[in-house]
Amino acid sequence: MDLADEKASFCTKLLADMGAEVIKVERPVGDATRWRGPFWENMPHPEKSLSFWYNNTSKLGITLCLDSKEGQGIFLRLASNTDVVVETFPPGYLREIGLDYELLSEKNPRLILASVTGFGQAGPYREYKSCDIVASAVGGQMYVCGLPNYSPIKPYGQQSFYAASLFAAVGILIALRERSRSGRGQHIDISLQEAAAATLENVMARYFYEKVVPNRQGSLQWTNSACLLPCEDGYILITFNREWEILVELLDSEGMASDLKEEKWCEDAYRRQHVDHIIDVLADWTRTHTTAELFELGQLMRFPWAPVCSVGEVLSSPQLKARNFFIPVDHPEASTSFVYPDIPGKFSGLSWKIRKRAPLIGEHNAQVYHEALGLLPEELATLSSENVI
Amino acid sequence: MDENALQGIRVLDFTWLLAGPYATRILADFGAEVIKVQSKKTATGIESNDAGYFSTWNRNKLSITMDMTHLESKEVVLNLVKTSDVVIENFTPRVMANWGLSYGTLKEVKPDLIMVSMSGMGQTGPWRDFVALGPTIQALSSITYLTSYSQDMPIGIGYSYADPLAGLFAALATLAALEYRARTGHGQHIDISEYEAMCSLLGPTILDYSINRNLTVPQGNASEHILASPHGCYKCLGDDRWCVIAVFTDEEWHALCRTMGDPLWAKQQKFSNLSGRLEHQGELDEFLGQWTSSYTPEEVMNMLQEAGIASGVVNSAADLANDPQLKSRGFFVQLHHPVFGNTNADGTPIRLSRTPARYRRAAPLLGQDNRYVYQDLLGLSEEQLGQYIEKGIIS
Repeated sequence: MDLADEKASFCTKLLADMGAEVIKVERPVGDATRWRGPFWENMPHPEKSLSFWYNNTSKLGITLCLDSKEGQGIFLRLASNTDVVVETFPPGYLREIGLDYELLSEKNPRLILASVTGFGQAGPYREYKSCDIVASAVGGQMYVCGLPNYSPIKPYGQQSFYAASLFAAVGILIALRERSRSGRGQHIDISLQEAAAATLENVMARYFYEKVVPNRQGSLQWTNSACLLPCEDGYILITFNREWEILVELLDSEGMASDLKEEKWCEDAYRRQHVDHIIDVLADWTRTHTTAELFELGQLMRFPWAPVCSVGEVLSSPQLKARNFFIPVDHPEASTSFVYPDIPGKFSGLSWKIRKRAPLIGEHNAQVYHEALGLLPEELATLSSENVI
Repeated sequence: MDENALQGIRVLDFTWLLAGPYATRILADFGAEVIKVQSKKTATGIESNDAGYFSTWNRNKLSITMDMTHLESKEVVLNLVKTSDVVIENFTPRVMANWGLSYGTLKEVKPDLIMVSMSGMGQTGPWRDFVALGPTIQALSSITYLTSYSQDMPIGIGYSYADPLAGLFAALATLAALEYRARTGHGQHIDISEYEAMCSLLGPTILDYSINRNLTVPQGNASEHILASPHGCYKCLGDDRWCVIAVFTDEEWHALCRTMGDPLWAKQQKFSNLSGRLEHQGELDEFLGQWTSSYTPEEVMNMLQEAGIASGVVNSAADLANDPQLKSRGFFVQLHHPVFGNTNADGTPIRLSRTPARYRRAAPLLGQDNRYVYQDLLGLSEEQLGQYIEKGIIS
């Protein structure tokens, strides 16, 4: 059962795409995340949010007012026959409405409850508000993104939500595996701040082991041996450490090596210290080529080079095409199918793929309430007139 | 005391650098027995057991040494595979095949084996042999282009973000395959592409192009899809100190004005509702930045959060290490290492109430667990072990 907003709707999407029966529980007017753009045909509408579409594939959708006593009672009945509940309410809210982990697990000891919040269930900031930019800042992402002497910038997209969703999904599968032995569920506490801070690659390792506080340095990687350089038609990511000798030969064959053939540049440490000069010389060279030429040339020599792509170029990537990464998802209401990115892998056994478009508001009310609780159409109509469903 | 959640799962780990070790660190933290295969030849640079980078990603794992280029190593690996649940690797696709260790071969000795292959591009397709580091994938996925102040100059993320995220997908896939095996008795081969992993984290932006043909351009910390204003990063008191502020509702806006002492500029009609604030965002950011510059980011965060407004400190590595929230939750964990002494690293953000992660042992020394694995698990005698070392198989 999915009570989550954007912070964890990707978590339950992953589980639904794997084949779990995920029931998204929305308030009767539809979830607030349905108002998050972009929208189909650029028209704000709760059934047209592309963000909602992407983050809720393969799920069933029901509506239920959790603020009402009657709604809470219905949820409790549903939860007593559920394996996993995922929620993103402020810590304490579930207790207020009588649906906290202690109570739920009393009714259903096998239940796994995953809570995803800005700062976690405990600690002095637990009640602080968060959102992607706050999580990105307090999680350490922003400080190392951007130009020196300019404002830090946030990694594009709602990355803290996606990272937290992945941690939550991994936690749920670990808890399910453990439950198959012990027969008991547990509470999983995921913090957006920690999810961001746990995916910083070199940042904390260098702080703890080298006493370095990593800084913003534009596109130049912390190793001082990779950066973005301008080409005739765009930008290319170039690496120039392991590749040094071959690279200088290459530049030289085009008469563009400048002074880089001098002995001193063979030394790793010297290069790192005088990286600005290297970048200047390399940029003079890259400007005379296209991104496609340098991508091909670099990969031919087994250098991890790549063009800086726009979203349009992602969709036309021959690699992603060959692997059928983009798949059509049927949207009967639009009388067409739309192209979605699928799951990032291939599996010889399990079937992990987008199964169906995101649910419409209350699309599966009749099915779920009938199958799970045995409610009859008349009873549903009453609950609906009372704004519970 | 409850057992470790992944008790009884054995993982034979050929991964290196970050994406792969990140995946197996998660499994090891929850009690899987992860055996990392190393050799003197390959344990160099950041893969050296003496490197802080290695030490960070390989806690809770065992280390054995084996020279994979030795002809007789294959037999030893196959014997290890027989007693393992999972084999995981993140080489370019031809490496395991060159060693004669493709999924087909491994499956013959262990029919229900789960083999996880992680690579930049995936095991198939015209780019399968391309070389990729995290920044390579980030450039190809469009997140490098999109993470910038403007479309004039791409900047990108200042670290290899794609690696840990691919590691998370691999850990998730491994657990899903274990569940599938428990249900069906079958193993499988999993092919994770880091390129696809990164693209899947840009879903709505990709749909905006595939469906609407809208080509998103970088907009710094703003986005027309974030209905909040102010929403950005502001200079604070101190050297390179910044805070972020996000105001979603008019109620929050009024609370912000009150916290600032209701300055005259904030009373202007054009700032009174969200659409006005969005329209005059630049001007608003100027005013707000002047206010924040008189306070430390901690002061701004605490004042605004007390008033019910989402705000945060732009934490550096040093700030993170001292962050009151992370400290109170024990996010950074300390382990004793025979060479480094006390080591620090981020713990797992996966907090299980009953069977939490356990931080049992710092990263291993090279071949630290040869005896346990080769003698206790494979049953080699003292004499055989000596022969393997002499032949250079264990090396």
